[in-house]
Amino acid sequence: MNVPEGRRYTQDHEWALLDDGRVRIGITDYAQDALGDVVFVQLPEPGTEVQAGSAIGEVESTKSVSDVYAPVSGRVVEVNTELSDTPQRLNEDPYGEGWICVIEPTEPGAVEGLMEASAYSELISG
Amino acid sequence: MDGARRSPLDAAHRRAGAKLVDFGGWEMPLSYPAGTLAEHQACRSAVAVFDVSHLGTVRIQGPEAFASLQSALTNDLGRIGPGQAQYTHLLDEADASVLDDIIVWWVEADRFDVMPNASNTERVVAAIGGADVTAERAVLAVQGPAARRLMEAVAPEAAGTPRFRVGRFQWRGVEITTAGTGYTGEDGVECAVPAEAAEAFWDALVDAGATPAGLGARDTLRLEAGLPLHGHELGPGITPLQAGLGWVVGWDKGDFRGRTPLEAERRRGPNRRLRGLVVEGRQPPRAGYGVRAPGESGQLEGEVTSGNFSPVLGTGIAMAFLPPEVGPGAEVEVDMRGRPAPARVVKMPFVGGRG
Repeated sequence: MNVPEGRRYTQDHEWALLDDGRVRIGITDYAQDALGDVVFVQLPEPGTEVQAGSAIGEVESTKSVSDVYAPVSGRVVEVNTELSDTPQRLNEDPYGEGWICVIEPTEPGAVEGLMEASAYSELISG
Repeated sequence: MDGARRSPLDAAHRRAGAKLVDFGGWEMPLSYPAGTLAEHQACRSAVAVFDVSHLGTVRIQGPEAFASLQSALTNDLGRIGPGQAQYTHLLDEADASVLDDIIVWWVEADRFDVMPNASNTERVVAAIGGADVTAERAVLAVQGPAARRLMEAVAPEAAGTPRFRVGRFQWRGVEITTAGTGYTGEDGVECAVPAEAAEAFWDALVDAGATPAGLGARDTLRLEAGLPLHGHELGPGITPLQAGLGWVVGWDKGDFRGRTPLEAERRRGPNRRLRGLVVEGRQPPRAGYGVRAPGESGQLEGEVTSGNFSPVLGTGIAMAFLPPEVGPGAEVEVDMRGRPAPARVVKMPFVGGRG
């Protein structure tokens, strides 16, 4: 499974990428593989205040539903509306075009508290 | 999955990189690396091959076989003859619940191969007797508009098996039984292959161009085709009449198990009916979701039994039990975990015209 360096990861199989003070999030390669073909994504509303660990959206495959959790607290400032019509991007490019949303974090350093690539790789191989 | 039964094709599935899942006590492929949607598409546009070895084969032989099945199962075997197949039900004699839905292959005059669902095989043997020969064979379903053309290259005798006909032929020294049946809404054949030859037959089909497909695609395909799945549309408390399968009942034959309670229901009319729903949007409706009349005061009308995203329609589809008066054309709402989604009651199948 692909686990790129330079991002942070959560126990819920999401990635978080700090970019210019904002946190872009998505699901990992492992998560998309476990879900199978994604057919629907429920995105958060832009502007929503979110708490770290709270459910902010849903990803549904042909076989199951999975919640999307906020990896950090903050405000949703951007969502990937392309996923509404092309949810398969989560399978095809989970770390790129399959991004889910961007959160402006309350604590700029919050993302540092998440797992590094090496720790996440260990989690999914264990 | 300790203790799960494995198909004679288990090694082939693992080599192909299949994701395996427990189904009715069997460990079977959920999908292959192509994924459920691609497998679904292959079956709708070309040809897919499914390992359905988890279906049981219960062999009933001898001069009493016909009479014994006639009195155990709902459908009338008098409507068909040797060399034909029939869809039928085994009912609970107390309340006419469908204990199992079954395909009977009438292989020769005094021999029937009865094919229950995986988890119901023991129950069916208890009710009708016979020998459980499930472990001796694999069953491969070759389905899709190009299924017969592909079969021509592998086993021409199977390719020529008409719809709901049963045949036998020799293939590389073993006897294969084949039937023009399936569970996808597409044309195709199913082949019961001796376990020792199963892998060679599977490989021959795949080499000829059949796309291996798993239970994920089997479920989305049968859903689009409006075909019931035991444990969802059929099962405890559900009669054939509620499921809209009155045609499975041979009323003109003599007595059969469960006839009395079923006749009583027929007289008073079933209190609910299985219907198809087309749901607005891509979100998959799921088993257990409530169905309501539209609007704020919408009363609970029923419950989804199976649902998913329809790859062909590009929208959510479901089967649901609704009050009998709510028929095709009615507008309802499905409660998608708190979010109402508009839906329309439609005639099934959702896709295609074949059963």
